[in-house]
Amino acid sequence: MGRLVTRDSVAISGSLIGLASLLIGWLTLKPSRIAAGTSLNLFESIGWVGGLTVLGLWLACLILSLTGKKERSAVTLGILANLIVIASFLLVGLFSGKLLEGEAQIARVSLGAGVWITLAGAYVVIFSARQTLRGSTIWRNVVSWAGLAVLVFLLIEGWFQDISIMTEFSGREERFLQELMQHIFLFGGSVAVGTLLGISLGIWATRSRRAEAPIFFTTNITQTIPSLALFGLLIAPLSALSFAFPVLREFGIRGVGVAPAVIALVIYSLLPIVRNTYVGLRQLDPAVIDAGRGMGMSRAQIFRKIEVPLAAPLVLEGVRTASVQSVGLAAIAALIGAGGLGWFIFQGLGQAAADLILLGAIPVIVLALLVDAIMRTIVRVATPKGLGKGNQ
Amino acid sequence: MIRLVKVSKSYGDTIAVRQLSLVVNQGEVCVLIGPSGCGKTTTLRMVNRLIEPTAGRIFINGKEISRVKPEQLRRSIGYAIQSVGLFPHMTVADNIAVVPELLHWAKSRVAHRIDELLRLVGLDPLEYASKYPNQLSGGEAQRIGVARALAANPPILLMDEPFGAVDPLTREKLQAQFLRIQQELKKTVLLVTHDLDEAIRLADRIAIMASGRLVQHATPEEILSRPTNKFVHDFVGTDRALKRLSRIGVASFIRPTHSVKLSTPMKEVASVCERCHWVWVVDDDGKFTGWLDRTSLPAANSVRQAMVVGDRDEITITKNATLREALSRMLGQGFNSIPVVDEEGRLIGEVSLGDVEAATAKMEP
Ligand SMILES: Nc1ncnc2c1ncn2[C@@H]1O[C@H](COP(=O)(O)OP(=O)(O)OP(=O)(O)O)[C@@H](O)[C@H]1O
Ligand SMILES: [Mg+2]
Repeated sequence: MGRLVTRDSVAISGSLIGLASLLIGWLTLKPSRIAAGTSLNLFESIGWVGGLTVLGLWLACLILSLTGKKERSAVTLGILANLIVIASFLLVGLFSGKLLEGEAQIARVSLGAGVWITLAGAYVVIFSARQTLRGSTIWRNVVSWAGLAVLVFLLIEGWFQDISIMTEFSGREERFLQELMQHIFLFGGSVAVGTLLGISLGIWATRSRRAEAPIFFTTNITQTIPSLALFGLLIAPLSALSFAFPVLREFGIRGVGVAPAVIALVIYSLLPIVRNTYVGLRQLDPAVIDAGRGMGMSRAQIFRKIEVPLAAPLVLEGVRTASVQSVGLAAIAALIGAGGLGWFIFQGLGQAAADLILLGAIPVIVLALLVDAIMRTIVRVATPKGLGKGNQ
Repeated sequence: MIRLVKVSKSYGDTIAVRQLSLVVNQGEVCVLIGPSGCGKTTTLRMVNRLIEPTAGRIFINGKEISRVKPEQLRRSIGYAIQSVGLFPHMTVADNIAVVPELLHWAKSRVAHRIDELLRLVGLDPLEYASKYPNQLSGGEAQRIGVARALAANPPILLMDEPFGAVDPLTREKLQAQFLRIQQELKKTVLLVTHDLDEAIRLADRIAIMASGRLVQHATPEEILSRPTNKFVHDFVGTDRALKRLSRIGVASFIRPTHSVKLSTPMKEVASVCERCHWVWVVDDDGKFTGWLDRTSLPAANSVRQAMVVGDRDEITITKNATLREALSRMLGQGFNSIPVVDEEGRLIGEVSLGDVEAATAKMEP
């Protein structure tokens, strides 16, 4: 990283976002669950001491990111940003309880835009620090995960119990766990099926000129159907099927519920996987395959020893795309009775309860980020060492 | 021994190879050459059944290859493809190990073989074994390609433009290396090239092809001196005499020569120069350093002052060089003789223009 960049523009943007977030409401006090509330500014929300602490931390961040882009300052910058995350949420958790003292039982405190924007700004800074810290794995991991780890700890310890999302959560713990598992099952199961099917179709498309066009035609077309419509479209044929063969109901195949949801999700996950498998195999240098044949490898050996390892990174990249996309799409499955985290979202929409919507939406986002991170790691591990970077 | 009997291959209406019969004897290098699209690659690939002939029969050591399972046949024939085709996800060592592993060699034997082959192609095993193909230069990759083809010690090698994608200097080095290896291993080689000079240098016999037919199959000398028809005549070009010079080594043309040392006293130098207009100058180890003209003697009081310093790499040749190289040095430098040195650069003699002319005159018309 020998570039002579005197300032770190990404970290500067992050700091400015953070400072801007201090100007808008941090907490909202609502007389009831669904009533509109009053937005409280930074100091009304977390007090003078708390507010000045966060302000000071953000200013330090800005100054440090203006001074240059070096390994050492990146460590400090990353630690500062993590401190901002931790301090903000500690304070927000603490003060939400205080704000509710003396209010009616049904009053709620919810997080305002300011908190979320501070969180976003802090992670912009952390991202930038992480990029600079290529050399040191330990510091990179500390900087990336420390804040999150503390947040998870606080969450489990009940520090946020007075914040409205958690109020929605309490009393629904079992339901939440159940829908979370259902969500994971929905996207995990359909990505697994989609992967098997997609890789097979992708291989078939490279092997047979006759199959190629129809495979891509159908996977492309289905991708353009809006998700809501696809879920809906499946209801009619599946219910017809289950009425014609009642035995299918025994296996849960009905017009609504898990079956149409999984089918729709599988269909959506096909395109990226089929496409990447096809490209992964087609982009292989024909000379390499030819060399394999010329050296006396059998068809199966060429597939196993050459095609699979060389195409794997691209195929897995397709699986990653499909997974992240499915986590989001699975939220819609709740509409046709398949459950999952979407259930909270649609319940919340129905009751006009914003916090209940967030109770579904936030875990979906976290799950998507988590799946993305895991799949990226898998892709990296599966990439053969000789690929990518050329002469070093 | 490879024997093709009236082999043809057609793709629909295009006939890539027609009625081709060719024998490559044990331990012989046969170079296939001809214009682009004349069917060289097709011919080569029919020998290891990457392409099945439409008609005709091919024998290896008397056995018809259509009776051997293709995979088994190919594992017993080394094949270096035109575009190298190293496996990018495998290290150099793993690339070389492919065929031995297909043949289930023991691990230690494979490791030993990798070492041996890397040394054979002039690459340090410690440095290169664990490299990946994308860390190699074009010339290194081609050498690994050749090492890989040699891996299981096959008696037969098929090489499709094995030195294609490198600069002329590296190409020349690789050719010299090939000749050295071939002298040692005595493989039966069928090699394809576009480059007539390469063919003349490497071949025991050259097979010239044109639009799928074999036009002439003979030793390089014969092809250069007696082209069978106008096509071959035009193909080998008007500089046939010059090309033939590259089949003749300088070794038997080296004659002793006069030289003086840097430390030789001027009086002695004068007496040496009585007999000739100029002499080579060597240092105290006998290494070539330049030359000295008689006319510059009166004005100087040491050899160092009188001499012209010459670049050893540009002027001298070794005794492995060909007459053609000697001639090109003479013409390049404007000399009528050129110094010959040993590996350390010590002067051992010279080759004169007169001798080269005599050799050309002796050649058949
Ligand atoms: N798979 C194929 N289908 C149709 N025609 C082919 C096929 N392979 C080769 N040919 C034709 O056969 C002829 C001989 O091809 P070949 O590859 O043997 O030429 P070559 O002498 O090796 O040429 P080059 O020196 O350019 O490599 C060419 O006219 C080519 O177009
Ligand atoms: Mg060819």
